[in-house]
Amino acid sequence: MNPFLARRWMGTGLLIVLLLLSPLYLSQNAYRMSVVTGGFFYAILASSWVLLAGIAGQFSFAHMAIMGIGAYTSGLLGRDLGMSPLVGIVLGTLLAGVTGLLIGFLCLRLRRAYLALFTIAFSEILRLILLTEFQYTGGANGLRLAPLYRGITPVVGYYITLGLLLGTMSLMYWLTGSRFGLFMRAMREDQDAAAAMGVNVVRYKIMIFVFTSMIVGLAGATFYHQVGILTPNTMEVLQMSLVIAMAVIGGIESLLGAAVGALVSRIGLEMLREINILGLHIELGAWRYAAFGLILMITLRFAQNGLVYPLLNRLFPQQVRKPLTAKQSEKSGGSPS
Amino acid sequence: MIQLDVRNICKSFGGLQALRDVTFSVGGNELIGLIGPNGAGKTTLTNVLDGVHKPASGQVWFNAQRVDGLPPYEVARRGIGRTFQITRPFLRMTVLENMLVPALALHPAARKRDLRGRALEVLAFLTIERLADEYARSLSGGQQKLLELGRLLMLDSQLIILDEPFAGVHPKLRETISQFITTVNEQGKAFIIISHEMETIFTLSRRLLVLNWGQLIADGPPEVVRKDPAVIQAYLGAEEKVGPAAGRATHA
Repeated sequence: MNPFLARRWMGTGLLIVLLLLSPLYLSQNAYRMSVVTGGFFYAILASSWVLLAGIAGQFSFAHMAIMGIGAYTSGLLGRDLGMSPLVGIVLGTLLAGVTGLLIGFLCLRLRRAYLALFTIAFSEILRLILLTEFQYTGGANGLRLAPLYRGITPVVGYYITLGLLLGTMSLMYWLTGSRFGLFMRAMREDQDAAAAMGVNVVRYKIMIFVFTSMIVGLAGATFYHQVGILTPNTMEVLQMSLVIAMAVIGGIESLLGAAVGALVSRIGLEMLREINILGLHIELGAWRYAAFGLILMITLRFAQNGLVYPLLNRLFPQQVRKPLTAKQSEKSGGSPS
Repeated sequence: MIQLDVRNICKSFGGLQALRDVTFSVGGNELIGLIGPNGAGKTTLTNVLDGVHKPASGQVWFNAQRVDGLPPYEVARRGIGRTFQITRPFLRMTVLENMLVPALALHPAARKRDLRGRALEVLAFLTIERLADEYARSLSGGQQKLLELGRLLMLDSQLIILDEPFAGVHPKLRETISQFITTVNEQGKAFIIISHEMETIFTLSRRLLVLNWGQLIADGPPEVVRKDPAVIQAYLGAEEKVGPAAGRATHA
């Protein structure tokens, strides 16, 4: 095996083992456990958004809204029709996929800022409907969701969410390594040129919306059955911005970078609630988001590949780049321009 | 051997008539130059041929199949490939990945590793195989033009439309590109080449189409077209500037 690839596999294996063993320490404190479990949930959201926006070039703001569709569907079916959470999760995932299909169709001709504005509008409309129709949705008081099963412990919830993260990450990595991944990147670079090269841009654009929507629908439905309550505020643009910020800090073109970025950001944000410096106790409250915003601004200005991705790349390089660059080769007698 | 029939194509954008009743045919492995002043409708015609624009009226037939109105990817898979006036490689993808995109689109059942060998062969033919693992953005303008040509070879296009392949390239590379076009043409592929490089296009092509204000005003061998009074008046400017020694023509 390629030594660089072996090193990557080893690093990934170590990370997984670390995550699998973490409950031995974390289970002593339910709060820490829930923070890390929430980190896994945000890691799914951020990495799937990276697949949609960073790799396929579809800059959507509807990710959290679609996640909410999955979660609300499962919750409402359980509350009103008495369906088990498992059936609700399956149907929630499917409805999220159908929503992705509709958005994909409606946004076929929209690119960049127009797509972003369209999906912001969609998210806000959905949030306002959920808020206004409180007799059905619980409104601002939220919708109570049954637990996945009676007697579920935080440790089990941790492993379920971790399993979901590892499963979706594996699926997304497989996809990006396939022809689909190659076409997605070609679409991101230039949709018209991709079409001129025989790529059915319409089909792949819709497919990527459906695929990522199903992932976040599944994640949302599963996670909120553990949390127990869901409010429309989880779907607001600010929450979406948080996911995007996590992805940008992690690395906007790296699934693993975004996932690690989200996990670290989530834990970091919780740690910043209260800090002790030289015996001085400071409660940062909402100011921690300002600190987070500052990190985001610094990342965008000085490290557009994110903070986590370059670090991972340094620790686990893909391959040694050839020293010969195109321009150098020209000087040494290559094709003239 | 291909057969392209363009029949009475009209296309307008608002009040501007970009193409007026354009009719011509391409058969076998013809090597055709398409010239005309800026705004004559050359790129619009290309966009109609490759499916980007649907014509207002008229039809395009390729190998006995009607292709006007088909989406660009369908037209590309049926054998009409095109490059763009400004090169459009997939910049943040490697040269090899750029080559694999059209090949995988054309052969849905094939695997990447099966097509890799063919891609490297084409890159070797274009003398840029050592750049296979480089990002396309690190290539020079001329190398990017070669890469675009390579992608069309991977798409196995039977009719290749090149939009300004010689624009902004070093004279030595212009010769190299001309040589590649001649070689590929001799292998049976037809070409329509849009260019303002008069010397090169008059030497390279065996037939010239001239567009002016969306109308096809001349269609014939270069030596006949260069003496056509309508062409001289509309495009070439003055009779004494016509001919291989004229270099870049003065545009209307």
